[in-house]
Amino acid sequence: MRVLVTGATTPLGTALVGELVAARDVELVLAVGREPESTLPTGPRLVYHSVDMTRARKLHDLLWGPARELAIDHVVHGMHHRRGADHGPAVHAQNVDATRELVLACMDHPTIRRLVYRSFAEVYALRHITSDLLDEEEPLDFDPGSPQWVRDRVEADLTVSTHLAGPLSIAVLRCAEILAAETGSQLWDYLQSRVCLSPLGYDPMLNVLSLEDAVAGVMAALRGAQIGVFNLPGYDTLPLSRAIAQSHRAAIPIPGPLIAPLYGLRRWVAGFEFRYDLNVRRFHFGGVLDGGRAREAFGFQPRTPVHWPMSWWNLLMARLAEQPVSL
Amino acid sequence: MESPTFTRIVKTAPFHDEGHGFDVFGLCPPTLASVITATAPIYDRYFRVDSLGADRIPACGPVILVANHGGVLPVDAGMLCVDVLRRTEPPRIPRAIMDHFVPRLPLVSTWFARLGAVSGTRANAKRLLERGELVAIWPEGVSGPAKRFRDRYQIQRWAVGFAELAIRYRAPVVPVAVIGAEESWPVMVKLPITRWFGAPYVPIPASPVPLPTHYHIRYGMPIELHRGRTPDDAADPAIVAAAAGEVRVALEQLIVDARRARHGVFR
Repeated sequence: MRVLVTGATTPLGTALVGELVAARDVELVLAVGREPESTLPTGPRLVYHSVDMTRARKLHDLLWGPARELAIDHVVHGMHHRRGADHGPAVHAQNVDATRELVLACMDHPTIRRLVYRSFAEVYALRHITSDLLDEEEPLDFDPGSPQWVRDRVEADLTVSTHLAGPLSIAVLRCAEILAAETGSQLWDYLQSRVCLSPLGYDPMLNVLSLEDAVAGVMAALRGAQIGVFNLPGYDTLPLSRAIAQSHRAAIPIPGPLIAPLYGLRRWVAGFEFRYDLNVRRFHFGGVLDGGRAREAFGFQPRTPVHWPMSWWNLLMARLAEQPVSL
Repeated sequence: MESPTFTRIVKTAPFHDEGHGFDVFGLCPPTLASVITATAPIYDRYFRVDSLGADRIPACGPVILVANHGGVLPVDAGMLCVDVLRRTEPPRIPRAIMDHFVPRLPLVSTWFARLGAVSGTRANAKRLLERGELVAIWPEGVSGPAKRFRDRYQIQRWAVGFAELAIRYRAPVVPVAVIGAEESWPVMVKLPITRWFGAPYVPIPASPVPLPTHYHIRYGMPIELHRGRTPDDAADPAIVAAAAGEVRVALEQLIVDARRARHGVFR
């Protein structure tokens, strides 16, 4: 297996590249990122290319140049704009246009046989009539009033999914939210505050995915041959209040309409990324991914709990343990 | 000090823990057990619930309870769920199927979820039955609590979805008559304010609190709607309607018998 990984410098990409390089059945990894220099560990089976994938010509040159020369046969596409606060044509180009160009190029490519696309649980439309357990047949969020962050992800998901019947073997992985730093996780950012404002009267069930399980899911999809859309749920399923408690934060329930302006103010003053309008439905109605199809298709079972943010006391203890004080 | 009821529910009721003490729908057995313990005086002394036939509920596997419905708020559903928990061994947690507007209600939605209630979507019911859980359905829906006092114990709109589920997932249906609830808290006026959280109306009860009527809960014999039918028959509207009709007839007979047997509304 010779794999091209986009978004290789993101936390998921980095972890995935590490796993691929360590795997015996992987001959070569072509890691692609936007950064000119890679922080990835170097090795004989790893090649890094810096490519701006929003440029169709650059993408074409990558696939028909190094990817063809290296006989890449598998592609993992997980490059998305991570900051929820950003919007505009450049963000759309990265999320949607680059995905479209990549899929179309892969379909005509002489060596690429399989594409694994990392999508998001946020593509599902959460409403009061939605099931608590979301399978792959649940409706997607086509609300034109949804933030671009969501609309782009739905459009990109559909862009890939429309080619499922084509010559390329495609697996679309709708991943639960990866609760880790620098992954673009809204919940992670939300849990960074010492005090979390939660919607009064609502305590929805959430499901979060660890980086380790996300990598395991992508690896399983790469090794499998199944075509289709698959949910990748995480190991942790818990109410919002428990997630806040698990992170050693204090929750203050306040009426929902007040939360958005308060978090808007926080974003403006302190530069955080959490947007309540991106999460309002999830914070009211919840929704947990049903991973039955992925389990049946390629045996994916979440096994690793997320690493919850630590309390200041545990953090202090951990740091002291790392750096013993010499007398 | 934990009460025996609390311990019994928390330690012995089958429960699919997702790792943090909750199931995927938000059920939390300690919360449920606390509520059952706290509401014991209402069950035992206020409504003096008299129950017969709970042993007809299969001890394991998927089951659908189908009951009549009435009263301003679902007090009858609450008493039925308490009754099932108290009288089944090991205790089976009834998963009450609630109307679509309930998840929009603040506090209520969360509270109901912790007690095991689940929004009435096909996928939710499917998941519960596939897990072998006990699902409680009120096919009258909101038309039950909305019925006029003179229509008490007259089955209103009869949704047939439960029959489809029973046939498809091979679940026996246990009809349950709840007597006393429909006189306990009748609706005086229905305010047609439909914008509030999607509720069909806002009920104005005839009394500030439910009257202490004597509750009688009667469980019928399990009806195996799937016997002689294939899962594919669940797609046939005529077959499903006929199956739902069987249960309706059985429930109506249970109601008639139970009302005839009681000595008075409050006795």
